[in-house]
Amino acid sequence: MNFMIHANHLLVLFTLSTMLSMLWFLLSLLSLLLLPCLRPCFPAKGSLKNKKKIDKGTYVVGEEETPKELQRELMPRHVAVIMDGNRRWAKQTGLLTSQGYEAGAKRLLEFADLCFKLGINTVSAFAFSTENWGRHKIEVKCLMYLFQRYLKSKIQFFQSKEIRVSVIGNLAKIPESLLRTVHELEEATKSYKKKHLILAIDYSGRFDILGACKNIVKKSEQGLIREEDVDETLFERELQTRCTEFPSPDLLIRTSGEQRISNFFLWQLAYTEFFFSPVLWPDFDKQKFIEALVSYQRRDRRFGSRL
Amino acid sequence: FEAIESYAITLGLNKKYGSIDLEKLRCLAVVVDIEAAQDVANVVELLQWLTTIGVKQVGLFDSQGLLKKSKDLILETVPGSMLLEEIEKDVTPDGKRIALEFISSSDNKEAVMKAANILLQRYLKSSHPEDDKGEDFFTESHLNDALRVVGENVHVPDLLLVYGPIRSHLGFPAWRLRYTEIVHMGTLKYMRYGSLLKAIHKFTGVHQNYGT
Repeated sequence: MNFMIHANHLLVLFTLSTMLSMLWFLLSLLSLLLLPCLRPCFPAKGSLKNKKKIDKGTYVVGEEETPKELQRELMPRHVAVIMDGNRRWAKQTGLLTSQGYEAGAKRLLEFADLCFKLGINTVSAFAFSTENWGRHKIEVKCLMYLFQRYLKSKIQFFQSKEIRVSVIGNLAKIPESLLRTVHELEEATKSYKKKHLILAIDYSGRFDILGACKNIVKKSEQGLIREEDVDETLFERELQTRCTEFPSPDLLIRTSGEQRISNFFLWQLAYTEFFFSPVLWPDFDKQKFIEALVSYQRRDRRFGSRL
Repeated sequence: FEAIESYAITLGLNKKYGSIDLEKLRCLAVVVDIEAAQDVANVVELLQWLTTIGVKQVGLFDSQGLLKKSKDLILETVPGSMLLEEIEKDVTPDGKRIALEFISSSDNKEAVMKAANILLQRYLKSSHPEDDKGEDFFTESHLNDALRVVGENVHVPDLLLVYGPIRSHLGFPAWRLRYTEIVHMGTLKYMRYGSLLKAIHKFTGVHQNYGT
């Protein structure tokens, strides 16, 4: 009797294993049949390049192909950057401080160009803070000269790429030559709408807030607004970021490992996602930026309210 | 690895975190997302940890003001805790106290609006020349005074710990954040004592140039 029971068990196990083997065989056969059908969905890079050559109309000129880790519809509209680490980078690479700043300026243009190609509308960069006037006079003078030379030399570049450039900040203390270049650049690019680069030079977040207060006073004295009209929306329109449709950055990147906003866009950063990268600014390349964007796209931003 | 490191720190296995010099940390702020703010128990535990570490002043922020509503409960359950404004009035300071401040989004932009209105009224009522641009009425110290008048604290936190799923300060009073170090700690639900100690220790080693 016991023997019969064991024999039955063995028979059941044998049948099950045979069925499983047959099932595995059938699945393998099915995958072999399906694989050729799946190939067109995952073309090799080489064949994609060929496709680009054949069908130019499929891709928008000037657009960067969205990296596979990212979703185009989740791109931030406004990215702000605190470009920290130029001096340290120069020291590490055995170069002069001025060369560090030049590398930083070059990196900014590459960064902004990449942002626009990925569909980001506005890029803000903290180029020079009010506190930076406290640096060595010669260093500050070199920096002002670099700004003037670089911006002047890139006017045609911005025009060819249809990038609107705005410069915000106190601007009362910057050299006359730089101020002229700033006006020339803003005038030359003011008609462009889709891509906006905002450079903050001699900018202070607190000064920006106080400036908005003074603007409101002026308008109140002119009878343009009443005291009771002053609310957050009106206040925001008086900040220096009034030059853009999207004054509040969705993403703020600060490089070189420092984890603070250092008086940049105080009012505007209420619900901004921060990404603090340990990399020095001149080394903040495309791959590092994609990491920041991936991190941003993973977040569930609720803007302070409940879901 | 972070979890393991945190437990090692909690158990005192890493001597580096044995004693922390808190001289640089005069004011600590904590941002809590609204889901976490609904469960006060975790906030109370965090405050107890901070008391153990020796932090003297903590600003607690959530955007909706839920922690403000739980203020009495928190003050009751955190030993040695008092409201910041009461400690400031106290003539016999007790070293074992921890001063708490409860902050929400209404203390951010809305407060700046009210303060700006105060400055505007003062300016309009004053006798000033026509070409006056308000330089004597709209300075940082004037806005600080006006913020105090509307009941706001203008203490600048040295360190801001953000507990929540995203790395954002969620509307913490912007005027106060100029040079504040910001650290994202993850969600409050999974907070670890070791991670807290590590963040504070790391802060004590930070050197700021303040732009110069």
